[in-house]
Amino acid sequence: MARYAMVIDLAKCVGCQACSVACSEEWEVPIGQARTHVRNTGIVGKFPHLTSTFHVAQCNHCDHPPCVLPCPTGATYQADNGIVKVNQSLCIGCGFCVEACPYDARYMNPRTNKVDKCDFCSARVERGDQPACVNTCTAHAKFFGDLEDPQNYVFTAVYEKHARRMENSLAAPGPNVYYLGKPEHVDLVLATFGPRAPKLLRPGDVWKRLVKPFVLAAVGATFVGQAIAFFYQLKTGEKDFEE
Amino acid sequence: MNKRLTRRDFVKLTGVAGAALGALPGAAQPAPNPPGWRGHERVERIATNCEMCFWRCGAEAEVSDGKVVRITGNPDHPLTQGRLCARGNAGTELLYDNDRLKYPMVRMGPRGEGKFQRVSWEQALDLFAQRLTELKQKYGPESVAFFPHGVASGFFSIFLKAYGTPNSAEPAFAQCRGPREVGYALTFGQGLNSPEPVDLEEAKLIVLIGSHIGENVFTSQVTAFAEGLSRGAKLIVVDPRFSTAAAKADYWLPIRPGTDTALLLAWMNVLIGEGLYDREYIEKYASGFGELAAHVREFTPEWAEPITEISAKVIRETARAMGEAKPAVALHPGRHVTWYGNDTQRARAMAILTALTGSWGRKGGIFLPTPIKTGKFALPPFPKSERGRADGAGTRFPLASEEQGVTNGLIDATLTGKPYPIKAWVVYGQNVLESIPQQQKTLKAMEELEFIAAVDVMPMNYTNYADVVLPEATYLERFDMPAVIASAKKPFISVRQPAVEPMYDTKPGWWIAKQMAKRMGLDAYFPWDTPEQYLATVVKPLGVDPAVLRVRGAVAFEGRPYIEDRLPEDGPLFPTESGKIELYSPMLKELGIDPLPRFAPVENPPVGYFRLIYGRTPVHSFTRTQNNARLDSLVSENEVWINTDAAMSLGFREAQRVVLENSEGVKSLPVLMRITEGIRPDCAYMVHGFGHESPKLQRAYHRGASDTELMTKVQVDPIMGGTGMRVIFVRILREGA
Repeated sequence: MARYAMVIDLAKCVGCQACSVACSEEWEVPIGQARTHVRNTGIVGKFPHLTSTFHVAQCNHCDHPPCVLPCPTGATYQADNGIVKVNQSLCIGCGFCVEACPYDARYMNPRTNKVDKCDFCSARVERGDQPACVNTCTAHAKFFGDLEDPQNYVFTAVYEKHARRMENSLAAPGPNVYYLGKPEHVDLVLATFGPRAPKLLRPGDVWKRLVKPFVLAAVGATFVGQAIAFFYQLKTGEKDFEE
Repeated sequence: MNKRLTRRDFVKLTGVAGAALGALPGAAQPAPNPPGWRGHERVERIATNCEMCFWRCGAEAEVSDGKVVRITGNPDHPLTQGRLCARGNAGTELLYDNDRLKYPMVRMGPRGEGKFQRVSWEQALDLFAQRLTELKQKYGPESVAFFPHGVASGFFSIFLKAYGTPNSAEPAFAQCRGPREVGYALTFGQGLNSPEPVDLEEAKLIVLIGSHIGENVFTSQVTAFAEGLSRGAKLIVVDPRFSTAAAKADYWLPIRPGTDTALLLAWMNVLIGEGLYDREYIEKYASGFGELAAHVREFTPEWAEPITEISAKVIRETARAMGEAKPAVALHPGRHVTWYGNDTQRARAMAILTALTGSWGRKGGIFLPTPIKTGKFALPPFPKSERGRADGAGTRFPLASEEQGVTNGLIDATLTGKPYPIKAWVVYGQNVLESIPQQQKTLKAMEELEFIAAVDVMPMNYTNYADVVLPEATYLERFDMPAVIASAKKPFISVRQPAVEPMYDTKPGWWIAKQMAKRMGLDAYFPWDTPEQYLATVVKPLGVDPAVLRVRGAVAFEGRPYIEDRLPEDGPLFPTESGKIELYSPMLKELGIDPLPRFAPVENPPVGYFRLIYGRTPVHSFTRTQNNARLDSLVSENEVWINTDAAMSLGFREAQRVVLENSEGVKSLPVLMRITEGIRPDCAYMVHGFGHESPKLQRAYHRGASDTELMTKVQVDPIMGGTGMRVIFVRILREGA
């Protein structure tokens, strides 16, 4: 089974945003939302001794994804090839996974009220294409492939060039997006955009976002059921009692 | 099995030479869509040239149910190989922008107010033709000036030449590449053209002078730049601002603006003084070396240090790096280079440096174009104007391009009536108010015109001044002239063709031009009925089947990019008068201009003022894309960069909205301040293209500030008429102050 990963070469990336627009257009991401972000670290140092680079951020398809466990319906799951996916038909939009992700890689789609995120363009990959972002990257700075395939560049990048993961003391879930480049650039990205501690669930959250909507839905459904039964009876008359 | 592969395999099997292709119904081959993918059942792919900027990358529009659902890169395109930038990927948002110009209109209110009445194409074109006929009778055809932009205007250009006016000018020359084209042509006998043939991927050393590749994105150029760096090329970036490229540089030289020529002369001094130049190349190909060596002897790094504020040590080190890497030194000639009014001489200095490192025509330097022969129509000769051009190309500006013209020269002629009156403008996709400085002058000129026609896709501010507005179809809805690109390692031809029918009541440019020609009895200049016929004639000598070309989008040919590849049929290596690289320019001497470049100091900003410099964001193309929903969501306004210490000394502790006021008291719209270490304390930087004044651009209207609005003065290059635009000083005011 493949183990998919992505490598971003900061020495090549110019922050042009082709990847994020390609992604948004490919997956019809609502304007203002994103599955893939490109962010500048800002310019650090004192003139003229300066450093600056870009962070290309997306779902990291972690080895131990912190988003899977909090999902109450099993909508978020990890496939055998390592890709973390959201089953849209199971997602109830509770948002637990959004908060659990230390990389803020998930967003709530206001059109569907469900959670969406990068899935390494699974549909494209399944038909033999590269992910949309990799396919369009103007600087050829993004690479996608199977970490178990020694012929693949991501294998070389990770195991021979020692591309680095965005991990720190707050979160180290084994992300599968790796970064190549000057050490000071990778350090700067990690310092600026490194993972945050995953938010823990509070009992109130479960009540407010899971139990309460469920109860409301149940109560609502009961009323609706009653109403339907009532009108049905109105229409058909009380046949059952005529005997 | 992927049907797309089948199509490509098919094309490969068929080959360029175009065997019988009777079975091929047309450009669009239906390809089944992967099941469930975005709910679109069948998707056609139409290969075409992108027009989100003018680089003409290869795109593929995926069409489902008559709608473009996605635009991707065309992997068959020889230059861009399936890559598209942010703008290219966002093309659908232009097509479906609800603010587009939708139907022909005639002006009802005063100029600029934006009140129009919808008319039919018949009415609009009749009016247009009637006005042109009257103007011709009253003032002669030269009284009509044409302001085109880009390749899409080709057919309209033919129409206006046939009408009889030589007065056509686009900002690509006098506001952009002109000095470079002239400076390099003076030296090597030919300019660089577009895309500029810089061999970034093979370079051992890349030198950027003010170029900000990365923020300035042309897909294939970024690809080559990143490839060159990853193969180990060293990078020198000369820029007062810490650009994206500077952040990748081995040497960042934060030069004092306006002193680049001093740096270039000092580099030459070291290369010659230390014997680091390519002696063999210079001896074989160049003339005037003795004069050059004598000329630069005094321009030592120590001389340049106080001028440029770059240490003599760094100047020496970087010059030596060039000597070491030669001839694989890719000194990028720049693109927008109308900075200080002495720009042709700076371009000359860059060209001479390119010659000293032996890089022209060499791997890793500047490669050579390989022309391809396309078919031409036998058109009647265009009428010759006895009155000559009004813009000064060839006269007032002796070396200005007559092909591209001098926009500001035409505006001057409109205002002064000299050398003869200009009474009407036809503007085709050229944002005359935002691409040409001295907006007040342009506005005044427009007030004096008897007639203005505008052909555009979006309701840019200038269209509000037009008497007739003709809405053009977007690039996804029309044919244009095919792109014939010689300045690529493999020269190629590529097509722009419609993916969908024109929306609303819009029409393609070729149709509008042809209709106008018909109305004015100029049919003979358009001896074809359909753009397909036009294409067939153009590609005929290439031996390319137009059907194959339309499926693939582009077809490439063998190139001869380096000196050793050249064949006699390619003509002389250096088509100067002497047939050699002219380090010393006899032509400039003859014109009474310095035959060797010399540093001329520029005025510095007074106390409390910053020099306004400007550039690009990778997400937008000039003023064209700010209303694009997707791109707007990424970069919706520009910021003005101010150095931290400078901001502190003005009392700004944190970023806030400010107003820029130039030394003539003209104020900008409010703009966000970015306090940063990444710029010299004497400069203020902003991205060009924001601060739109047309309320009809609902997203872009009054977002950010316009740099052009502040350019109330310019320094005109006497050699070619270019408007030096980095001569503006601004101070920073608190919003509302």
